[in-house]
Amino acid sequence: MEQHERVELLAIHGLRKTFGDTVALNGVHFSLYAGEVHCLVGQNGAGKSTLIKILSGAEKPDAGKIIAFGKGHRYFTPGQSLEMGIATIYQDMELVTSITVADNIFLGHEIMGKFRLIDYTAQNRQATELMRSMGIDIPATTLVESLSPAEQQILQIVKALHFKARIMIMDEPTSSLGLEETKALLDIVRKLAARKIGVIYISHFLREIFEIGDRVTVLKDGQSVETFDIRRVDVPTITRRMLGRETIFNRPPSKPGGPILCVRSLSRRKHFQEINFDLRRGEILGFGGVVGAGRTALMNVLFGVDRADKGDIILNDNPINLSSPRDAIEQGIVMIPEDRKQLALLDLRSLLENIAIVRNEQGSPWIDRRREKGAIAALIERLGIVTAGPEQLAGSLSGGNQQKAVLARWLLIDAQIFIFDEPTKGVDIGAKEQIYQLMAGLTSQGKSILMVSSDLTELLAMSDRIAVMRNGKLITIVNASDMSERQLLGLFVGVEGTEQLAG
Amino acid sequence: MSALGTTIRKRLLANQWSFLLLVVILLSLIAGSVNSRYWWVGNLTNLLGQISVLSLVACGATILIISGNFDISVGANIGLSSVVMAMLMRSGVFPPLAAFIGLLVSVLCASLIGTASILFQAPSFIISLAAIGVFQGIALFVTQGTIQTIYGQFETLGGLKLFNLIPLLFVIALLGYLVVHVILSYTQLGRCIYAIGNNPRATYLAGINVNRRKMIFFAINGLFVGVAAMLLLSRVGAAQPSTGTGIELQAIGSVVIGGAPMSGGKGNALGTFCGVLLWGVIGNALNMMRVNPYIQDVVVGMLIILAVAVSSLRLRAERASLE
Repeated sequence: MEQHERVELLAIHGLRKTFGDTVALNGVHFSLYAGEVHCLVGQNGAGKSTLIKILSGAEKPDAGKIIAFGKGHRYFTPGQSLEMGIATIYQDMELVTSITVADNIFLGHEIMGKFRLIDYTAQNRQATELMRSMGIDIPATTLVESLSPAEQQILQIVKALHFKARIMIMDEPTSSLGLEETKALLDIVRKLAARKIGVIYISHFLREIFEIGDRVTVLKDGQSVETFDIRRVDVPTITRRMLGRETIFNRPPSKPGGPILCVRSLSRRKHFQEINFDLRRGEILGFGGVVGAGRTALMNVLFGVDRADKGDIILNDNPINLSSPRDAIEQGIVMIPEDRKQLALLDLRSLLENIAIVRNEQGSPWIDRRREKGAIAALIERLGIVTAGPEQLAGSLSGGNQQKAVLARWLLIDAQIFIFDEPTKGVDIGAKEQIYQLMAGLTSQGKSILMVSSDLTELLAMSDRIAVMRNGKLITIVNASDMSERQLLGLFVGVEGTEQLAG
Repeated sequence: MSALGTTIRKRLLANQWSFLLLVVILLSLIAGSVNSRYWWVGNLTNLLGQISVLSLVACGATILIISGNFDISVGANIGLSSVVMAMLMRSGVFPPLAAFIGLLVSVLCASLIGTASILFQAPSFIISLAAIGVFQGIALFVTQGTIQTIYGQFETLGGLKLFNLIPLLFVIALLGYLVVHVILSYTQLGRCIYAIGNNPRATYLAGINVNRRKMIFFAINGLFVGVAAMLLLSRVGAAQPSTGTGIELQAIGSVVIGGAPMSGGKGNALGTFCGVLLWGVIGNALNMMRVNPYIQDVVVGMLIILAVAVSSLRLRAERASLE
């Protein structure tokens, strides 16, 4: 091995951390070399977040040893961690969005000019230089709020660079990014490694890990199960280690019936034009394309959130008029949106209330608490929602269980057509499988599904047919079984872009 | 401390209301030891009467705040509707009918704020702030700024004591709390109050007609305010445009002290009741302890800040232990 020649930035031995009776970390070993991208994978609750918190100084371990830059520590304070050059790039941005890019980089350490006033010219110049050196082209005077989520993440990275970070921890950096943005971010990660920065990269997307990782460590139940050289391991091995069993969900073959929902010439100005398709009974119709292709806008019209300018939506041979989500729900069309937290979840309310909310416009104004509790307990059981009970706050459930809670509310009113927008985003691999199983279960009961997804594997594995959208137009509808990932990607971007993206 | 003691302590501190009740009892013990007249039945029933009007206003505020809305014009609303009641009674209208018309005025005023807030998609806080001037101005215009005395025409509500002991006012206030509790816990409307306060967009996408619900919340608030105006008029025997001034902040304060966050989505009737009780007991206890009236406001303010500080620290500790 050539590893002994390299500079070891970080070594963790036998790290242990408990919260009350829960053991979050139970003997974690981990190391990081300069210029290495070391990926960390594991199901939710495997201990990834706790490990990050310890490294950033937010939590103190109970036992174990951390050797950072050659010096041993029992724990870090947040200040020590930053000072040593450990920077964490968080999922939810830690930026002040109402000020400029340069102001954010220098926040708290402004360059002072005459009369102890901020020298904006110097700040903007230095910020631009810093970003150029990373190949980023964002004007230093842009307001952060006008940046895309990807650009905001990149800005956080640049800011960390400015503070001479030598270790960068990235927690699910691409979970809210589209295809091109992900590619741009991965490029930046490679550049960081080239600068001899050690990157700890956490992601649910194994594809990314194989693209940029040098090594990968699998965490399970608070233990580091094994560390692999990325060149000597494959996806099945990693998932097996994460789950402790064989995986990869296979949807049983389906036999869709006749058309249930027909969309004709549906258009909404600036979003999509002349969309035509039929959804069949018991079918999963996937919608693929790059972010901004108009897929979510189309689903919003089908769920009554936005209005179409022209065209028809025909349900069971009857044209329907959808002017609010209420109308759609009454027709049996329901949506499980992509942005669960903002658009679906009542995080301060109980799991029970989150599910029962859809009953509100129906029937008696009074609540039969006993019957309700019974119905919801049955749903919790049926969907396998892991919870302390129906009274648990929805905000404290894991991503996968939150997603199931949203699905449960629509099962409560026996909906017919389910619109899933990115059904497994932010969901760990175990819960992901269960959601696939639930979707397959719905179709075998004759329910139909429209599924928007940016995950090629998911689209191909789950869909009967895939509708490809590009620039607001429905380009083609293909049979999922006829396609490879590469071909599908080619359709998303128009063939000329295929090589760079898939390359 | 024994394991049992620890569980009891945890249970007791688990709810905002039980914490407030503890404070109330503590304050009462102090006041009672300084001046034993604090425990006299006359003083206690007087205390209950004193908090009745605030209770009803706080009942309405509970529903609005949990749903993420505010109506800070309720003080001015009381001024206007009680003046309307009093003027009608003076001009010879049958008093209960006059009171009913005043009640309608109050519901109308509150509903207007809800309508404007929905129509212009503006925060109800600002709309109701502006409405204070409108309501008070109208009241000043119709009365020409004079006090409207009704000379004992409408005393029963305010003066009657059940079993010669419990003020009818307080019984009505208790009914108010009961109504709020039933709405919040046993009706679909109550679920919507919490849901809309927690996440209005998600509630809309779950198929709820959020705007219609919001209108209902404001109308219910108007109903509570109208009854409060009625009780106040009956108790005082006169109304003027400035009647009710300042009660909105006490009401909002009670709800928030009672455990509802300013951002909505949480809270309950019992919490509000304890918040109101705390407010009432502080005032009464200070009187009993013969604290200089000029200093009383200072002490009231400081005690409220203390109560809020302790409960907010407690909530933070609770949240930290959840994570």
